[in-house]
Amino acid sequence: MDQMVENAWLIPLFPLAAFVIMVAFGRQLKTTAAYIGILATLASFVLALFTFLERFQEGAETFYQPVHWFSIAGFDVTMGYEVTQLNALMLVIVSLVSMLVHIYSLGYMHGDDRLPVFYQYLALFTFSMLGLVISPNLLQLYIFWELVGVCSFLLVGFYFYKPEARAAAKKAFIVTRIGDVGLFIAIILLFWWTGSFVYNDIFNAVENGVLEPWQITLAAILIFIGAVGKSGQFPLHTWLPDAMEGPTPVSALIHAATMVAAGVYLVAATFDLFAASPTALNVVAYIGGFTAIFAASIGLTQRDIKRVLAYSTVSQLGYMMLALGAAGLIGYAAGIFHLMTHAFFKALLFLAAGSVIHAAHTQNIFEMGGMWKNMKVTGWLFLIGCLAIAGIPPFSGFWSKEEILLSVYHAGRMDLFWIAVLAAFFTAFYMFRLFFVTFTGESNLNHKPEESPVVMTLPMIVLGVLAVVAGFINTPWNPVLGEWLTYGMEGELHVEAPAWISVVTVLFSLAGIGLAWMMYNKKSLSRDWLSGRVPALYQLSYNKYYIDELYDTVFVRPLRGIGIIVNWIDDYVVDGAVRLTGRITDSVAGLGARMQNGQIQTYGLVTVVGLVLLIVGLTVAGGYYK
Amino acid sequence: MSEALSQVPLTSYLLVGLILFSVGLYGALTKRNAVIVLLSIELMLNAVNINLVAFAKHGLYPGITGQIFSLFTITIAAAEVAVGVAILMALYRNRGTVQVDKMDLMKR
Amino acid sequence: MSGEFIAFFILSLFTIGGAVFMISFTRVVHMVVSLAFTFLSIAGLYVLLEAEFVAVTQVIVYAGAVAIMMLFGIMLTPHREQEEDAGRAQKVVAFIAVAAFFLIAFFIIQGTTWDPSVHHFTEDNTTMIGKTIFTQYVIPFELVSVLLLVALVGAIILAKREENDSE
Repeated sequence: MDQMVENAWLIPLFPLAAFVIMVAFGRQLKTTAAYIGILATLASFVLALFTFLERFQEGAETFYQPVHWFSIAGFDVTMGYEVTQLNALMLVIVSLVSMLVHIYSLGYMHGDDRLPVFYQYLALFTFSMLGLVISPNLLQLYIFWELVGVCSFLLVGFYFYKPEARAAAKKAFIVTRIGDVGLFIAIILLFWWTGSFVYNDIFNAVENGVLEPWQITLAAILIFIGAVGKSGQFPLHTWLPDAMEGPTPVSALIHAATMVAAGVYLVAATFDLFAASPTALNVVAYIGGFTAIFAASIGLTQRDIKRVLAYSTVSQLGYMMLALGAAGLIGYAAGIFHLMTHAFFKALLFLAAGSVIHAAHTQNIFEMGGMWKNMKVTGWLFLIGCLAIAGIPPFSGFWSKEEILLSVYHAGRMDLFWIAVLAAFFTAFYMFRLFFVTFTGESNLNHKPEESPVVMTLPMIVLGVLAVVAGFINTPWNPVLGEWLTYGMEGELHVEAPAWISVVTVLFSLAGIGLAWMMYNKKSLSRDWLSGRVPALYQLSYNKYYIDELYDTVFVRPLRGIGIIVNWIDDYVVDGAVRLTGRITDSVAGLGARMQNGQIQTYGLVTVVGLVLLIVGLTVAGGYYK
Repeated sequence: MSEALSQVPLTSYLLVGLILFSVGLYGALTKRNAVIVLLSIELMLNAVNINLVAFAKHGLYPGITGQIFSLFTITIAAAEVAVGVAILMALYRNRGTVQVDKMDLMKR
Repeated sequence: MSGEFIAFFILSLFTIGGAVFMISFTRVVHMVVSLAFTFLSIAGLYVLLEAEFVAVTQVIVYAGAVAIMMLFGIMLTPHREQEEDAGRAQKVVAFIAVAAFFLIAFFIIQGTTWDPSVHHFTEDNTTMIGKTIFTQYVIPFELVSVLLLVALVGAIILAKREENDSE
């Protein structure tokens, strides 16, 4: 197994091969496509797992294998792959979740005509995501970065016959593109300043003082803009909830566990760059913190089960950003830890939600209710997911969230700490609101929901187990993962934090759960005691702070106005010029055609005129023999 | 006798020829009746003949050749008129007109 | 002013006058008649140029055959009492072009220094032509005879073919 790391480049190639095969055979594959995809991702997962285990051993070195790609103006541009602690972990997460989603989709997408297409997209996405993670340089990363964006676009718009899905796909593509421009500029600037795309070269440049502080800050913030777009952070978060128009397994894979985490991964992968710029770290921390509380407050009032989860995702990603930005190395470890646990429990929640939707045929939670009776397995798994995300011990979310809060507290960022705690309270509330409304009470459905098939519940069970136990890999008294992740990095990892923090945060979470229980299960508290008193707040939250409307007014409408003007210019000025040219040519041709009238006398006349002109011309010019 | 005859210079004959040619050309270009167009062309040929015969007597290389060429021209003009009139007949039968402006088959 | 000059003056006057009348008459028959007048005057000019054989040929072929043929052509095809001309624009352009051509040619003729010497044919005109044609130009002569034959046949075919078709 010593050679496993060197074979890491194979990991993304299995899904690629699956993709190529599926494209080659097209739709005639039917469900065979699913098995191809599952096998490929299984192979990737196994390989990734072995790679991870090997990497996990004491003293394992980062493996970096560049391959010369091309040279331009004296710069060698390489492609290649590397296996660091961070991306070894990411490889496992991505391939695992991807494999489980592949399996799950077999049940969820059952009977869909375009199942092979769906699996093509999934395979392409898995390839791109694994490629993104394994990239050792920014250029390669950017290529995969855009590829996952394309896959996201394709999968969100999978039900392209629905106008909402089309709009959502476009929105997802365009809004993330705004962030990508930032990342792109950052890559160009870094290449300009350091002459390399490779992470390590850039980090060395940072370390050796090649870059001015302002350059570091600028590059870091631009990279972060890319991360903001991908991870749905404020102010580019609007695409993520809309992206829920895609099939639910896609939401679980792309818009909860992997692709949206790419932003966090990017910040983590270039953490050395960020660490050199306090300003950039502050930007990351405050954007993350604000997004965490902001998205959580929107999640309180949404009625679409997937939208609540989407805002929860945005909020949790904000958490990770907060940790990365606010708390140095320990925050880094905590953020990645949370990324891992979140991937498990959020994927679980989405798959469970998909199971619920599969049974209920609706996404509005107030049209469900009482699902517990008929969907025990899904219910239990959903509860596990809720408990995990709410941060109730001993579920995995508790440990990672605890880690974040501790690190933030330890860093002395009290403002961010309380924001995070409040966000945790909101999280607990809306998750259990979701749970109680969906699973308890009277059923509002006019049909009896049925438990999903094993092919769907099995992946959920795997994730459920992971959601419970994954936290123990990094407990405060034995931070195995954190130590491993930060191996070789400078900084303090062990924190001494007062025990009351854990108690307080758990109490906050319990308070949120209790409130949700009172409002939505016991009904001892009217559902709208707050919204009835301060309707403005409720409206604000329900309408997502009118961010979409704001963007519509501030950006979309003026741009559309400009577009109309430009279109007008195009139609009448540019096209006018074109048409004028055409018309001139046409009229000249018409003139010529009119001369071509078949009248022999006209021809004769023209001949005579030509003869006269020729003689006059020759006379004036002096003839041939001047 | 020859001295008296030579009083009319070459230029005068050439000018007569030129005027005839110009009139014929104008007629060929403007008349609508095909027969008249043919006539105008005959006029132009005659103008050329005058030049040929004039150059047979005057000019740098005088000789009988000029007259012989004019004879050839006359012959060919006669043949041309015969064929031309025959074409007009055929055209008239086919298209019911001898107006030149109605003959626009070349347009198609 | 010699008699030859007077003769040239009168003949050229008739020649040009006939041509101009031909252009300006509106009735077709008048045109042909005025053109026949021109042809005859040209024959007179040939005599002045010591080309008696050509003059006689001119009278026979042009004033005789061609003019009669044209009259046949006119009689056999429809013609209006008032012959129309081309459109005004075409006439103006044609006039300008022809006038320009005339002026250019005129100035070329005037501007050229012609050899003033005059050639006098010592031999009998017809004899000379006969000798030259049947010695130096015998091949063109034979070709012309072939051409005439072809024209004859062609004219007959052209004029008759439709008749057969219509039967």
